Amino acid sequence: MTETELDALFLALANATRRQILDIVLESPGCTAGFVADHFDISRIAILKHLNTLEEAGLLISQKQGRERLLYMNPVPLQLVQERWSRQYAEFWASRLTRLKYTIETAARQDRRKEKHDESQ
Amino acid sequence: MTSPSERADRLVSKIVIRGRIEDIWRELTKQGEAQAAVFNAWLHAQTLAPGARLQMRTADGRYAIVIGEVLDFDPPRRFAHSFRFTQYDDAPCTVVYELRPVAAGVEVSLTVENLPVGTRTAKSMTSGATTILSTLKAVIEDGRPGFGSRLMYWIMDRMTFVLPKRCRSEAWPM
Repeated sequence: MTETELDALFLALANATRRQILDIVLESPGCTAGFVADHFDISRIAILKHLNTLEEAGLLISQKQGRERLLYMNPVPLQLVQERWSRQYAEFWASRLTRLKYTIETAARQDRRKEKHDESQ
Repeated sequence: MTSPSERADRLVSKIVIRGRIEDIWRELTKQGEAQAAVFNAWLHAQTLAPGARLQMRTADGRYAIVIGEVLDFDPPRRFAHSFRFTQYDDAPCTVVYELRPVAAGVEVSLTVENLPVGTRTAKSMTSGATTILSTLKAVIEDGRPGFGSRLMYWIMDRMTFVLPKRCRSEAWPM
């Protein structure tokens, strides 16, 4: 993700109302802006602005169906952020797993060699 | 007007990828090699035209993980197919890939329709769709999947023995 995309994402998430909107859409995929607005005591225009911010950040997808626009949450940007900062931990555990594999395989090889040696004695 | 709960059988994910639309299309439709973006599965299809059967198999070809039928094939814009995990008895759903050039690259959307809500298929598709798009982005922009995906594929290749017998390819003739 570019820095501009990250800025848009974190800006969108840095607001309690917008985070609540994401919860509502996640819980009710395919809901409308009106459905979302019914959960708040603020104006519909304010809700539409929040929806636009979320859509610009890639967190919301709106699809036109007839006269309605249906809303879906898009988790992909969050996955990209998670991957960006978790990679170093994944590599750490992978190196531990690889070391474990080599340790076990080396021990098994040594055991086989010892068995062969004992048989030949 | 339909209620939100009646539309919960649809999953929509999108991503913008900096790359050529032809390269992205190829990654999603290529045969004869692993599709790094789609869990390293091998796509087998009679032909990529509506009505043709397709399968996603493991690298050794011994297991068919997914079966389906091509519903729409319109290069390099739209690829739709039915989708059913051989491991489960859940009803099939429909997977639709749509590619659209945008200023920053190519917008790829992955829509799952008729998702059997509350099933293991739904759970797998919900997490799988996100993984497919983020891995596709890494494959196109960086030349290979991210480290986490590569580690997952390494483990998956060595764990095929845990798949049930019903997934064996011979049980699912093309």
